Amino acid sequence: DDQRESENVNTELIALRRRLVDEWNAWRARSKAEVSDDKGRDLAKEKQSEEDKEEIE
Amino acid sequence: MRPILLQGHERSLTQIKYNRDGDLLFSCSKDHVINVWYTHNGERLGTYDGHNGTVWTVDVDSESRFMISGAADNELRLWNVATGKCLYTWEFPTAVKRVAFSEDDKQVVCITEQRMGYQCAIRVFNINRAGDGNKQSKEPAHMFNPVGSKATVCAFTAQPGVIFTGHESGKVALFNLKTGEEVHSNERAHGDVVTDLQMSEDRTYCITSSKDKSARIHDTKTLDVIKTFTTETPLNSAALSPNKPYVLLGGGQEAMSVTTTSLRQGKFETRFWHKVFEEEVGRVKGHFGPINTIAVHPKGLSYASGGEDGFVRVHNFDDSYFKSQPYGDLQIED
Repeated sequence: DDQRESENVNTELIALRRRLVDEWNAWRARSKAEVSDDKGRDLAKEKQSEEDKEEIE
Repeated sequence: MRPILLQGHERSLTQIKYNRDGDLLFSCSKDHVINVWYTHNGERLGTYDGHNGTVWTVDVDSESRFMISGAADNELRLWNVATGKCLYTWEFPTAVKRVAFSEDDKQVVCITEQRMGYQCAIRVFNINRAGDGNKQSKEPAHMFNPVGSKATVCAFTAQPGVIFTGHESGKVALFNLKTGEEVHSNERAHGDVVTDLQMSEDRTYCITSSKDKSARIHDTKTLDVIKTFTTETPLNSAALSPNKPYVLLGGGQEAMSVTTTSLRQGKFETRFWHKVFEEEVGRVKGHFGPINTIAVHPKGLSYASGGEDGFVRVHNFDDSYFKSQPYGDLQIED
């Protein structure tokens, strides 16, 4: 019984760690994507303002 | 893992910083000087002399061309890393407690102390990188006074124009530099003074340490607390370890309440915690007093700690550290 219990605890711990890693990786992927989105938008804005300037000239 | 002992400071360390390449380590101290060391052998490359008070804080740009420092003599100084020359000095009514470069090296943010009728202030200076670097503008590009509790630490985030701050009350916040507006805050991020703040490489998250004996990982956009590491000693510093899923924590009781018991109980050890599982994985002994500052090599090849005892210890990790996978083969994103 003790052995079965410790095996259960182990399996649970492994499952917990797996879940924590998955959550962490998902959050990292999300924030990395947001940053590149933000940077892309900034670049687009810069490009837009450059084009505007050219038109003025 | 045999540490290299850097002997050169006569008083306690306040902050240490690796440069981008990780070949140099900058250290500042209550002895008024800043030193720079080769990290591979611990040889001292040079000293930056000029401050007339405790140097509280340093940062170095990504090219290792300019270094910035703040001190109790109310000065913020810009230095040429290679020659050791002071290029420019800004003067304030109170001490400079924290400095940090922006990601593009074009700006510097600094915190000045609240004292003698002066409010705590956050200033951002544009750094003119042309020529020798000795032509800087005296006036800040932006300046504001954070409302409520004074700020103790700050850094630029991944979002343009937004800085992350940690406060005396334990609060963390985001400020818009241009307007000085507090965009977001977490009043109860910590229960006591925030003592250190270090950004992840992409600046989308950071770690803070506090006298409340805990360290926390925060999302720098939402201010969500992602992870908490709770120890049994007040923390002075917390660092993220690139390429390994660990955080490094250091602290110890104040100098006044230091006893031999603290040493025996391992309160002056650098603690390694798993950053995802929030479990302690190991400790490294060495200092004879509280650890004031910890820094990790930008590629995670070594780490250094600076103590109240006046020593800096550089630890180059050995092969077994890189090979070991104590939690099995899990891919954890940095």
